[in-house]
Amino acid sequence: MLTMKNINKVFKTDLVETHALRDFNLSVQEGEFVAVTGPSGSGKTTFLNIAGLLEGFTHGEYFLDDVNISNLNDNKAAAIRNEKIGFIFQGFNLIPDLNLAENVEVPLRYRGFGAKERQKRVKQALEQVGLGARMKHLPSQLSGGQQQRVAIARALAGEPRFLLADEPTGNLDSLMARQVMELLEEINKAGTTIIMVTHDPELARRAQRNIQIVDGQVCDFSRYQTEQAPQLDVAEQVAS
Amino acid sequence: MFIYYVDLAWRSIKKTPILSLLMVLAISVGIGITITTLNVYSMMSFNPAGDRAEQLNTVQLWSQGPDSWDEFNSLITFQDAMNLRKGELPKSQAAMFRSGMAVQTDDPEVLPMLQGVRVTDRGFFPLFEVPFLYGNVWDKSVDEQAAYQVVIGRKLNQKLFGGENSVGKTVYLNRKPFQVVGVIADWNPQPKYYDPTSGAFASAEQVYIPFSLAAHEEFPVWGNVSGWKYERLDNYQDRLVSEKVWLEYWVDLPSAEDRAAYKNFLAQYVEQQKELGRFTDGKSPSESAQLSDVDAWLEKNHVVPEDNKILVGLSILFLSVCLVNILGLMLTKFLKRAPEVGVRRAIGASRGQIFSQYMVEVGVIGLLGGFLGLAWAWGALYSLSARFGVAEGLTHLSLSMWFITPGIAVGTAMLAGLYPAWVVCRTKPSVYLKSQ
Repeated sequence: MLTMKNINKVFKTDLVETHALRDFNLSVQEGEFVAVTGPSGSGKTTFLNIAGLLEGFTHGEYFLDDVNISNLNDNKAAAIRNEKIGFIFQGFNLIPDLNLAENVEVPLRYRGFGAKERQKRVKQALEQVGLGARMKHLPSQLSGGQQQRVAIARALAGEPRFLLADEPTGNLDSLMARQVMELLEEINKAGTTIIMVTHDPELARRAQRNIQIVDGQVCDFSRYQTEQAPQLDVAEQVAS
Repeated sequence: MFIYYVDLAWRSIKKTPILSLLMVLAISVGIGITITTLNVYSMMSFNPAGDRAEQLNTVQLWSQGPDSWDEFNSLITFQDAMNLRKGELPKSQAAMFRSGMAVQTDDPEVLPMLQGVRVTDRGFFPLFEVPFLYGNVWDKSVDEQAAYQVVIGRKLNQKLFGGENSVGKTVYLNRKPFQVVGVIADWNPQPKYYDPTSGAFASAEQVYIPFSLAAHEEFPVWGNVSGWKYERLDNYQDRLVSEKVWLEYWVDLPSAEDRAAYKNFLAQYVEQQKELGRFTDGKSPSESAQLSDVDAWLEKNHVVPEDNKILVGLSILFLSVCLVNILGLMLTKFLKRAPEVGVRRAIGASRGQIFSQYMVEVGVIGLLGGFLGLAWAWGALYSLSARFGVAEGLTHLSLSMWFITPGIAVGTAMLAGLYPAWVVCRTKPSVYLKSQ
């Protein structure tokens, strides 16, 4: 489904070249739940941005559903983001002036769906995250956990092939973090591929597969079944 | 998506009311000033003769002697006018000048009033397609055999006779009885192209009397009288035989052949006059007569002064300054919303869609600025008319301006918004998603 071969990403300024990713290789199969961990500045977010077509890369090849997206123009990249990818961010990134229904509706509008189809999907997505009764509320009237659920609903409304989550529980307390994680697991069970960047080893262990990025390169661990998830901290594994 | 973008624009405007108001004000002031000057300019340069502008011509004659005026005078002498009236080439023709008289009726309730009077031939009415409400113009015979007949305007008819059909009734002009033969409907060409020398934007007269009465009744002249040499004028009759110029002469020459034939006729006329000792400047007969169509006539009489063109240029310059200010304000406003753009880009908006969204917002701001600018322009024109006595014809906000103004405002705002919208649509979403 997602294949990256020898991806390199170099940020250049007049004085400095920073290699955010170097010879980065990764393959993610359909239906997987992959947790990405790594120290700050290791390249996790850069990887997620490239995977989500939010940023280009310097060298390498990237295939998404067997489509080489290396040389896509902006319109095509936007269409793929809209149709195949759902984003969940640490800061929720809801649009504060729009109510919940309008927030969830945004990607559907860019997809060109008619009003009826949009309404149906918005209702469905918000009900799925347990906020069907609060469609007309503004994001500021919700708790952090609720806002993140709205962000998940927005990501799900377009029925994407995979979700990219960047520290989805980073701004939440443990109870809400657990609820959000359970929601993501449900979504994954329903068939959506999820790639989640996290600092939380507890959450990482709940994923089917853990990869760690260190200095812009992948340290891939063996696949685990969820029920056989190891008790070892990922960082400890790398150290060993 | 357009409606969606308009909705987003409206929300954005409401969210930042002060900044939005500043932008709307900047546009409206620039537009208001530009539209005011443009309106005055367009009213001045409007050709009210329409598609007849080419066939309606005035006659100018180089009747002056050597070392006098160095260009054709707009007006001609009485004797030339009387001679030209004998020609039969034009479809219609009319000599004319502006006079003024006290007007009253038999009704003692109606107080005498001073009115501008056009002394002219019957040809005046078909020449300028003057519409009649009641009756018609005097007979052709009246142009030869003077008769005390008058055509009045609708407004005057309202004042004198309460608006009823007054054909056959009597009005007194300087105490002389005149029989009403016709009442014209509202007619007020602007500029008043048939006589710009007595006020290019003055209103059309409400009283029209036969030119054939002029010599007999010695009507006062309320227009320019010029002479190129000293002539002693002891009485009205001296003026009639002098070289003083004070009359306009209009002819209707529908085709180019008619115009060529009439120019030839004028050349022959000048030749005759030279034999009689007039037209002593030494110019050839063909060079001594000129026909000016409506455009040339308005140009010759400087109906649109050079100052006005400069004023239009300055107002456009001012609008450009407003445009630069708006650009800065928009850039500030749009860049503040870059994080939202980042989110929209991440969830599927293309650069084109973001660009369109912001251009629509700019357009909405421009439209609001346009409406406010229209109000400024209307107020400015009203003030010019009410407080400074500028002719009403110049301060009337033309119908086209009501439609053009919002268009200009939207276009201006969009021009100013191009760069900010382009900058914001180039926003890298990844930069803002993490930081939001």
